[in-house]
Amino acid sequence: MPGIDQVLSQAMGIPGVLGAGLIDWTSGLTLGTAGQAPHGDHDAAAADTAEVVQAVTRNATFDTAGTAGPALEDLIITAADSYHLIRFVHTAFDSQTCLCLWLDRAQANLAVARLRLRDLAAELVPS
Amino acid sequence: MGLPIPPRPSAPAGLLDRCAAERVTGALRGPHGCFYLLDGAVYCVEDAAAPGLEARLTAAGKVPPQGWQYAVETAGPQLRGGQFLVSEGWLTQGELEICHLAALLDAAFFALPLPPEATSFTPGTAHWLGAVRRVSATALQQATARRRALLDQLRPWAAVDTSPVIPVHARASARTTSRQRRLLDRADGRHTPHELARALGQSAFMTLLDIRRLAAAGLIHVPQAPAALPRRQPGASLDGHPPPAAEEHHTPTWQLPVPELLDTADPDIALLVRLRTALEENL
Repeated sequence: MPGIDQVLSQAMGIPGVLGAGLIDWTSGLTLGTAGQAPHGDHDAAAADTAEVVQAVTRNATFDTAGTAGPALEDLIITAADSYHLIRFVHTAFDSQTCLCLWLDRAQANLAVARLRLRDLAAELVPS
Repeated sequence: MGLPIPPRPSAPAGLLDRCAAERVTGALRGPHGCFYLLDGAVYCVEDAAAPGLEARLTAAGKVPPQGWQYAVETAGPQLRGGQFLVSEGWLTQGELEICHLAALLDAAFFALPLPPEATSFTPGTAHWLGAVRRVSATALQQATARRRALLDQLRPWAAVDTSPVIPVHARASARTTSRQRRLLDRADGRHTPHELARALGQSAFMTLLDIRRLAAAGLIHVPQAPAALPRRQPGASLDGHPPPAAEEHHTPTWQLPVPELLDTADPDIALLVRLRTALEENL
């Protein structure tokens, strides 16, 4: 089974991908990176992404699935030239981790990228 | 047991930075936490306040009850305990790395900053789990500072950090996240947030954050200390009205038993009298 680095290197094979990372969204700590990051700074990108994820996770509005398992799957940010795709990695033990993908909008297919990232998350941590 | 929040990191270049600059390998042991370093990078952190890899994996049912001790004895001496957990099929490489990093980060939050006067360095000491993943000292300290900033936003509710809390039942239907509902279910007024984190095998930092948020939302409170048994005030009445005016004040007096009470047909009393008489005769 692959570890963090293998999964991120597979993520670089998704069409249109510019960079990928695994982050802890409570602290913005980078757990692994591959490819490029916006403004060339993976750590800053992880810290900024963590703030976005925290805004979603701390509010009950986005957590309506009741007690039947984790509710959140993806966060998608579309911009003029790129997509940011954030996938929650759900684990049996307690962790606050997500996979992040930075995509070139002209090259990428958002639906395909989302499904590929979902499958990679499942390879990293089988459900 | 309480969960002390260490003071803010003061010196920018702490012990961890110096170890990173000198690319040391060994163990940096503080008052309640320990950092394991390999070439200046942190690969394991343990702290009494944060549930470690074992507590997290055991609570999740990932490692069988005797599995942990088995791993320590079998793979510990070669310093490859982490890989052993994977080779036994208990978890995947991805799970090992993520769980390990989550535990490392949580422990670092409580172990930092390391006070120079109470920290010792042992060169060459390694952790039995082995270097599963490494984190740079700078990144770890920045991550810890960001976590601290999150808690600081809720500083007025810091009193619940170390106290057992109970849910405010009247507000139970209020909006909460699933993590918070899990805590509300376990908050029984006897366990501190630290003990709840350990019982659930979850991040002590996240537990503190959620407990403070619940307190801020008015959904939990610290139970009142059990009051001493009420003492009867002389002259106080059951319905709580103040005692009558001073002119009705009576001096308490001992009352002799009502004489008729001693004249009884109860055979037990008769037996006791006979026993007493017999004993007195033998004195």
